Amino acid sequence: MLTNNHISGALALAPLREQVLKRAEPGSRVVVNLSGVQKLSGLDAAALLRLVIEGKEKGIEVRFSGLSAEARQAFTGLDASLLEHAATPTESLSPIEEVGEQTLDLLATARRLLEMIGEITYWFFIAPWHGKGVKWERTGEQIVKIGLDGVPIVSFLSFLIGAVLALNAASQLRQFGASIYIANLVGVSMTREMAPLLTAIIAAGRSGSAITAELGTMVVSEEIDAMRTMALSPGRFLLLPRVLALLCAVPCLTVLSNLAGIFGGYWVGVIVLGLGSRNYLQQTSQALLISDLVTGMVKSTMFALLIGLVSCYRGFYVHGGAEGVGTNTTASVVTSIVLCILADAVFTTIFFYFD
Amino acid sequence: MTTERDSSPYVQVENLVARYGNRTILDGVSCSARRGEITVILGGSGSGKTTLLRHIVGLLTPAAGRVLIDGRDIHRASEEEQEAILRNVGMSFQGGALFNSMTLEENIALPIIEHAHANRETAYTLARMKLALVGLERAAQSLPAEISGGMKKRAAVARALALDPGLLLFDELSAGLDPVTARELDELVLRLKAQFDVAILVVTHELSSIQMIADRAIMLHAGKVLAAGTLDEVRSMDHPHVRAFFDRRPRSTVVQHGLLDALLVDGGDHGENPA
Repeated sequence: MLTNNHISGALALAPLREQVLKRAEPGSRVVVNLSGVQKLSGLDAAALLRLVIEGKEKGIEVRFSGLSAEARQAFTGLDASLLEHAATPTESLSPIEEVGEQTLDLLATARRLLEMIGEITYWFFIAPWHGKGVKWERTGEQIVKIGLDGVPIVSFLSFLIGAVLALNAASQLRQFGASIYIANLVGVSMTREMAPLLTAIIAAGRSGSAITAELGTMVVSEEIDAMRTMALSPGRFLLLPRVLALLCAVPCLTVLSNLAGIFGGYWVGVIVLGLGSRNYLQQTSQALLISDLVTGMVKSTMFALLIGLVSCYRGFYVHGGAEGVGTNTTASVVTSIVLCILADAVFTTIFFYFD
Repeated sequence: MTTERDSSPYVQVENLVARYGNRTILDGVSCSARRGEITVILGGSGSGKTTLLRHIVGLLTPAAGRVLIDGRDIHRASEEEQEAILRNVGMSFQGGALFNSMTLEENIALPIIEHAHANRETAYTLARMKLALVGLERAAQSLPAEISGGMKKRAAVARALALDPGLLLFDELSAGLDPVTARELDELVLRLKAQFDVAILVVTHELSSIQMIADRAIMLHAGKVLAAGTLDEVRSMDHPHVRAFFDRRPRSTVVQHGLLDALLVDGGDHGENPA
């Protein structure tokens, strides 16, 4: 049954809404007379539309009459489908759905990461047997960028860390007249711990971020897609050279870091504390075991691999243009450093029990 | 108006379905392109043109359907086969997608060195020949960042030509350029058609460009093929969307069922049609 309720007067939307939605019977038709209204602002029009939509949900058919030509402008050229897409606010997920979604995300990430590792492995171990060798030239370029260009900062910072370690130890050891053991402390902590970690952090900040930003920009500007259409595999041309370069450069930088750190300790010991130069070096060589050096190198290689995988992955899966590149570059550095320190803890624990 | 030298099409897309999440981008698209012809894929923004192109070169994997290039299914080919297919395909992207760290000649020499196993000197000579073909021989040593948008697109065309492909794909070649440069690019495409025995697929929504270069046209709308055939056939179709596209009528006036009709009691009388 249709009843015609004529509502007239100036546009007072809140009372109008009240009147229509509360008083009208479901199944009825309400005609709102808007003849008094000269002009509709965008907001008024949207509110009227909302009224129709809400009315529709309650089974009330809301229509307007007497709209002036000027007021009609607010609705002209629009499709009636606007009425179907009732603007429902985005539903928030229930906690369980949230967990599920996150788990799926994590699984997808793991899958993509494994795919990438598979690709890199393929191009290193299998493809060369099929006549598609490793791109050594590109790898060389990357080694220069990551390794050679990193020499000054790594040696400078390692020298400082070595010196600082020595100074800190000196204030304690001097009390027992055991200053010469500074050599042991600096030597062992540099080779086992500080040098690999310091180098990894510098590499993540300098090179990991650069790799992510470079690859990310290539993704955004469709360069990677262009490569694919030319049947040039990004895994072979971009990923493997970078990971290999890190695997080669980071351990080398770690060796350098060892030397610079020990030299820092030596400098403090000999110049500042007046320990004999020969004594210090002899003490250092006695203190250091091959296993210390090997431990440090194993860690360092592991860190290089982590940085390589993280930075390549972050770069390769950039979404959302320039902003995405920025976000992923930050994430790349943070993830690399967190993973390196985590791995360091795990390794140190393992070596502690099995050394 | 077109001569059919080769009866079998070089590219054949069959019932292609593409989904992104639960949104269907392409819904059973079938089309084809022949050697010696320029086939234009047209349609408004968001109609699935670029997605179709990306499926043709295998950058995206379809949910259903297949793409045959020279009779071989690109999505189900082994890696070696796919490489062989792609060596016969040249594509230029919307923004050019040149490798920014390389000069133009290095950009073009790269696929030549990798796939044709040419020595460097020959590859660079060939790269310069390709650049000369698009009128960029003087910019061979420039980096992509140092040249204009139109030059980038021409360089991208030169790179697409690097391996003398049988299929050329151009995504929005003349879009976003000034009319003169756009026309130059259209002329370039026509020259390539005359000079080489290639199938050319161009994605565009530039009407002037379509009228100038197209032999055949495929019109996409909301993921479906709305019209396909020679340019004249498509141009003379009565479908409202086709008409709207060729008569350059903005979408709002194609509205079949206006909002005013639904809102007003005295709806259709004088509510319709703002001139």
